[in-house]
Formats: sequence, structure tokens, C-alpha cells
Amino acid sequence: METKAYLMIKVDRENGNGHTAELVKELEAMSEVEAVIPVSGKYDLMAVATVDTPKKVAGVADQIQAKDWVKGLHILKVEAAVPNPFLDEVLATPGGETLRHCHQCGMCSASCPNVGQMDYSPRRIIALVRAGRRFEVLSSNTMWTCASCYLCTARCPQNVKITDIMHALERLSVRRSLQYGRNTATMYKIFIDTIKSNGVICEVGMMSKFYFSTILTGKMNPLIVFRMLPVAAKLLSHRRMPIRAAKMKEQKQLNAILKKAQALGGTQ
Amino acid sequence: MREYGYFPGCSAHKGTGIAFGVSTRAVAETLGMNLIELEDWNCCGSTPYTSTNELEAICIAARNLALAEKTGLDLVTPCSDCYIILKQANTELKAYPDLKKKVDACLAAGNMEYQGKIQVRHLFEVIYSDIGLEFIKSKVVNPLKGLKVAAYYGCQMIRPECSYDDIHNPKSLDRFMAALGAEPVSFPMKDRCCGGSMIIPELDLALGLVYKLLESAASNGAQCITTVCPLCQTNLDAYQGLVNRKFRTRFSIPALFFTQLMGIAFGIDPGALALDRSIVPADRLLSGFIKVPAA
Ligand code: SF4
Ligand code: SF4
Repeated sequence: METKAYLMIKVDRENGNGHTAELVKELEAMSEVEAVIPVSGKYDLMAVATVDTPKKVAGVADQIQAKDWVKGLHILKVEAAVPNPFLDEVLATPGGETLRHCHQCGMCSASCPNVGQMDYSPRRIIALVRAGRRFEVLSSNTMWTCASCYLCTARCPQNVKITDIMHALERLSVRRSLQYGRNTATMYKIFIDTIKSNGVICEVGMMSKFYFSTILTGKMNPLIVFRMLPVAAKLLSHRRMPIRAAKMKEQKQLNAILKKAQALGGTQ
Repeated sequence: MREYGYFPGCSAHKGTGIAFGVSTRAVAETLGMNLIELEDWNCCGSTPYTSTNELEAICIAARNLALAEKTGLDLVTPCSDCYIILKQANTELKAYPDLKKKVDACLAAGNMEYQGKIQVRHLFEVIYSDIGLEFIKSKVVNPLKGLKVAAYYGCQMIRPECSYDDIHNPKSLDRFMAALGAEPVSFPMKDRCCGGSMIIPELDLALGLVYKLLESAASNGAQCITTVCPLCQTNLDAYQGLVNRKFRTRFSIPALFFTQLMGIAFGIDPGALALDRSIVPADRLLSGFIKVPAA
């Protein structure tokens, strides 16, 4: 039975003081350790470990105690791990595994240029993933409002790859068809269809298809046309929007590769 | 001559960022760069693909990596979006062997293979790190003296990782502009987001981001903004009119590719730098710097 253990650790001042960040990293490098949180009081750190049977907790505790900077260790609590398939799905995506290290400081949300328009801030979305709240997360607008600016990722003190996680959440949302009606998702679909037919992107075609389809489905105010026409006209008159769509030569080869990818299936 | 595999990307090739592709070609010779365009490349897939299907997205990128590997040269792209997509695919193929196995099988379906031997680099990185500022300075014949430039890095060229600059406070493009003789102004929003392709589905959100950039540049006295990415340039240039309407401002700040300003400083015929593709015109601003080289 999958088990979670909470281990309280006292750091030896002489060997470990002043390097908490390194000690945290050292513990987190252990495959069983999921997260390490600095605490104050009788103990200095709390490590959360996941093991497959309760018996293995003692082994992990011994390993930690063997470190020369550990002065004392106390097993606070051992409990059955609650299955969390949604969290597992996210952890299994490239970069998703870094989510484990989030300690909810909020630096990502404070850095995000678009946080004001998001249903949940980046920090909250991580908390919700951890809480297994699949539906709330995947039907929210948060990841669709992410501009992939990487500010959160660059600044996260725990090296959580938040931008990659946003992309993973978009994929999971598409897989469960919870993206329906999001304009960003509609644009993405048209973009991909263009690659599948032409191999390269032609912006005129893509933009007209996008506005056509979103206006038709009532997702976009038709007045957008009047705002966008001057932009399009200027791009055209400055010869920055070729009308004739460019095409790659070996489209068949590209599609054979994509077909195989579909057969192998899955985003994981 | 230094040789590189070249991936222009859809925008800089023939799309809204065509001036970037044209001016890159124009300065390449002076820089001693031979940019060998990949034969029949495809779109990098960009964020739309990454955000829809992981395996397909990496395959789309990997086809380009495989083409580049055939040339035996590192792959250089002028587009920050193509750069991050191709670079990330390259890194993930190394970091996740299971993923690599699947991608190998997919590429094989198209009679291709990728062993993971090349590196993906941004055009600016190559010019800044390989060619270097000393060489650039030695080629300047029209120093851009007194031209106040806001050096705009955008996002994906410097984040999440950058080998030659500080990701929290980049300075390389400022140094580069100074090497051309220009005067880089303080520009606090230099590494903030322009909205990228969100300008299509989330116009008003993106216009808000572009407004902040223009405001920061203008209030610091910049006469123009220089960019390293075709998406940034398009948002700053083609959408400046919409920003002015939405925020009741009167910005008129040309957004020029660093290759265009470099070309002018090198004394390259301005006709070859595609300056006429700019929607916010730069002619008057630059006319003082353009000297026709003595025949
Ligand atoms: S910045 Fe990093 S550690 Fe802090 S809340 Fe965001 S993801 Fe978690
Ligand atoms: S990458 Fe996305 S979530 Fe992160 S700061 Fe930028 S817009 Fe916000």
C-alpha cells in the first residue's frame, strides 16, 4: 500500500548551519523524498516521503539519519497515501515532475503578467493539481491565458517548470475536451491544421479562419473585424502577408511521421 | 567563413517578420557567416502544438533537428519562438530516453533519424558570442551616434536559460547597440512579454502588454525599439495603431530588428535591409545615419 511519511529533522548546527538550501536539495535528491519544508521550533526541516509499503519508512529514516549533518530525526506521522491520478498525470509529463518541489511561495503569481485575467493564479493552479481537482483545473482559463513568457519559471526558487506545466495542462484539457470555447484553443487547432496541410504557417489564412470560426460561434464580437481590418491592410500593403499560402515539399513525409505519433498515442 | 544551419521560421521567412529574414541575409556576409538554409524545413510547431499534443509536437520539431543534423552544423534561427521550441525539443530528447525512443520510431516512419548531435542557437547569441563585439565594432562605418534605442529582449531568447547573459537582468543587446555606436536607454520593461501569438485570440490582453512596453520605451526617451524576434516586432509595430486607439496615446516608435540597425551601421545599402516593411516608418529617424558609401 502506497504510504506517506512525515519526517522531522534536526540539523547539526556545526555541520549544516547556514546551508539550508543545500540540505534541502540533498534530501530532495532522494527518490523517495517528495518535498522538504523548512520549519522552526524543535526541528529544522520536514521531509515528506512516499514509499510503496509502510515497512520501507524505517529504511528512509535510517538513510537520512546517516547523514553527518542530521542531529536528530523523528517520524511524525505515517499514513496511507491518497491516490491522486490527476497529480500523477501531470507529474508524468516532461517537466511536470518538478511540481513536487513547489512550496507555495507565490513568486510565480507575483511575476505573471496575465495573472489578473486568470481564473486561478499559477500558484493556486499548482495547489489545485496537488489537491487532485481535475475538473476545476482543466476547465479553467489559467493555462489558456499563459503567454509562455517564462518569467515564473525563471524566478521560481524551487526550479518548478511552471510554463511547461501550463502547456501540459492545456494538453490534458484538450484530451478531455474541456478546452471547448476557449479562443486560444481554437487558434491552436487552426494552427495545427495548417501545419498538417501545408507544413508551414500562412498568417492570412490562419487569421481569417480564426476570426471566421470564432465570430460564427459567437465567441468573438463581430466588431473585431473593424479593429483588425486596418492592421491586416497595413500588413498587406507592406508586403508582410503573402496571400498565396506557402507549402513545404515533403508534406507526405511529415504526415507519415505524425501518423506514427498518433498510433503510438498519448501525450506522455 | 563560419557556417551554420539556418532555420528562418515561417514568420521571418515570408511572413510578417520578413524584414528580419531579409536583413539577416544582408548582414551575414559582412559578419563572415554562411547561413545554409535547411532543405524543405517545416514549421517548428510553436506553442500551439506543444500545448496540444506532446509527442506530435516533438516530432514536428525533431524533423527539423534531423534535417539540421544532416548538415553537420549547429542550427541557428532568428525567431525566439522557434528557438525555444526547437531547443526544448532537443533538450527533452536527451533528458527523457523513453520519449526519444518513441520519436525515433516516428521519424523512422518518414525515413529519417536524429541522433541528438546538434545544438540549437539563436541568431543573436551566435553574433554576440561567436562573432563578438570587437569584430562588430571593426565593421561599423556609420556609427549610430546619438540614436536612442530601447533594447528589447522579449522572453524566450533569455528565459528560462541563457548561457551568455543574466536571465534576470540581461545586458547583451544593450552592449551590442553600444557597439554600433547607438545610445541604449534605460528600459525597465526590456524583458517583459509582448503577448506573442496571443495577440490573435486575446487581442485586448496582448494590447495591454504591448502598451506597457511602448510606454516604458517612450518615457525613457527611446527613439526606436530594437527587437530580436519577428513576433515581438509585429506586435510592437503592426499593432501600435490599435494600442494608440485603445489607450488614447500617440506613440510613434519604430520597432527595428537588430539586424536592420546593424546593416545601417555597416553601411549596407538600406534598400537591402527591408526598412520599407516597417509600418511605423523609420526613414526619417534613420536618414541622418544612412550614408551612401563612396563608390
Ligand atoms: S514560484 Fe515556484 S515554489 Fe513558489 S509558488 Fe510558484 S511554483 Fe511554487
Ligand atoms: S509563463 Fe505563463 S504563467 Fe508563467 S509568468 Fe508567463 S504568462 Fe504567467
